[in-house]
Amino acid sequence: MTATDVRKPRRRSARPVWDEEPSILGKLVKAAFLLCYAAAIVLPIWAVVATSFASERALTRAGGNLLLLPTDVSLQAYREIFSGGALTDSLILTGLLTLCGTAISMVLTICGAYALSRTGSLLHRPILWLILLTFLFGPGMYPSFLVVQQLGLFDSYWSLILPGAVGTFNIIILRAFFQNSIPGELLDAAKMDGAGEFRTLFLIVLPMSKAILAVIALFYAVGYWNLYFQAVLYTPGLDTQPIQVVLQRMLMSSQGLPEGAQAAAQYQAQGEAAPTAALKMAVVVCTIIPIVIMYPFIQKHFTKAVITGAVKG
Amino acid sequence: MATLQTTAPTEADHAPDRPRVRRKRTVAQRLRHDWPLLLLALPVVAHLMVFHYWPSAWNIIAFLDYSPYRPFWENPFVGFAWFERLFNDPYFTPALLNTLKFSAANLLFMFPLSIVLALAMNSIVSIRLRSAFQSVVYLPHFFSWVLVVTVFVQVLGSDGLISNWLMGMGGERLNFTSNPDTFMLLVWMQWAWKDAGWGMIIFLAALASINPSLYEAAAVDGANRWRRMWHITLPSIRPVIILLLILQIGGILSVGFEQYQLQRSSIGYQSTEVLDTFVYYQSIVGNQGESFGTAAGLFKGVIGLILILVANNIAHRLGEQGIYQKS
Repeated sequence: MTATDVRKPRRRSARPVWDEEPSILGKLVKAAFLLCYAAAIVLPIWAVVATSFASERALTRAGGNLLLLPTDVSLQAYREIFSGGALTDSLILTGLLTLCGTAISMVLTICGAYALSRTGSLLHRPILWLILLTFLFGPGMYPSFLVVQQLGLFDSYWSLILPGAVGTFNIIILRAFFQNSIPGELLDAAKMDGAGEFRTLFLIVLPMSKAILAVIALFYAVGYWNLYFQAVLYTPGLDTQPIQVVLQRMLMSSQGLPEGAQAAAQYQAQGEAAPTAALKMAVVVCTIIPIVIMYPFIQKHFTKAVITGAVKG
Repeated sequence: MATLQTTAPTEADHAPDRPRVRRKRTVAQRLRHDWPLLLLALPVVAHLMVFHYWPSAWNIIAFLDYSPYRPFWENPFVGFAWFERLFNDPYFTPALLNTLKFSAANLLFMFPLSIVLALAMNSIVSIRLRSAFQSVVYLPHFFSWVLVVTVFVQVLGSDGLISNWLMGMGGERLNFTSNPDTFMLLVWMQWAWKDAGWGMIIFLAALASINPSLYEAAAVDGANRWRRMWHITLPSIRPVIILLLILQIGGILSVGFEQYQLQRSSIGYQSTEVLDTFVYYQSIVGNQGESFGTAAGLFKGVIGLILILVANNIAHRLGEQGIYQKS
């Protein structure tokens, strides 16, 4: 029996052989740092979820607006959200905006990226420049606002989708993927078999790009779901606002701030009590849930998409 | 020449023969061949024209005394008068200074934090533990600013979780989410909570691409952990660091809008006003007028453009790749 035979089964760690074991202190410091960081992220989210299930009584007893353990669980807040009032409308609106917006953005992005992935085609360079120049210079808030007004999109839900429908960065990411990860032989073979560009795109390129398409769709969907600034800017007059705007008004009214006064007056006029902490936190949970549901499916592809974008952008 | 190539047909591989084949064709022939691609590109081009280049052209009103209520040609040309008014505006300089302050803080604080996080994360040997950590720290990046600010008010606000603990222990309430003096600290914490994990992703990828035999050779030669980090790890991720620095410098005047707008009423405008909120509150909410807001936005855009070109140029001179290649 040699020494290596004895030692081998004991090495359960994936640490390479040449790497010396760090000191206990070093390990502790590192573990403490990472654990604190993770806890700082997880604990508030947990408190939000716990509070959303808390009853009025438990909240009063705790004397604050956030608790770590709901003592008696109540679904009152969620019942209120889904009871068909303004909050239900807002969630439905935001969901629809997200679906339509993501669909429109994906169609534009896929078409643009595919067209640009075929180098040497007619007008390829000017179009590529058109897209790359958007990285260097943005039109500015006021001119964009002006154009939205000119197009008659002000106070229309289209203004929440159309102006930001194309993420030029996503086009560049997807183009880089089409160029680098789809074998050119395949495209040549498809062409020889008589497939036109559209068939090639739908039958060969897209099925091979599902993972990256999912990541880009997630980026777009999260953007639409989290949409706040565009609604403040372009659709201040509409009755049903995206959920983020509603959440912001709730926050303001509970802080007793002037912006919230209007919202508070509205609650009074409708004969409703100002939103309780549980209701507010339940709205927060509702805005988190879609993200958390989509997240695990796509998380493993993040790195690839971000790197491709950074290298090619 | 028409045989299929066996190597991967990257752009470079096609470059030598494609142009030669193409050059013989007339535009009409190319159009007949490429029209499906042009058709596919058309929606994007149209979109950029309508929502990017057309508004960009409207920046011209920064040089006019513009009013939407008269025909465009009747707006008198005023030269740089609006910019003069902008630089003399009592709210503009503080907004500009705040913007620079937040940018500098971001650069000095978030950048190293992301790198340190990436190094710590990269040194977790267990793959399962590492991916669990990654799932947690990336998540807040996908939360909206409204949500982040709400959570911060609930946790750190004067009625918040921590205030209550402190009260319970006989202490005082925190006055953190409404105190202009500590706003910078609050902003830092929000950045760290929301985006430090996400900032790490690109460094992690760069770390993963380092050839492990370099470490092995160094370890065999007697280099300890810190020397390996200094002589192998950091030089290996230098191109990424420089790339991100350039992007950061180009975006120095864009620190975001929502984070500041959302906390403006509780903190006060003096501490939260940045260029974007300035444009919004002065021209869209306030009554300084179309041309004034456009001038402020144009100032920001032009400075950003200059910064990004300069930073890229410096990167090229240092022998780094930069954001775009010289072609």
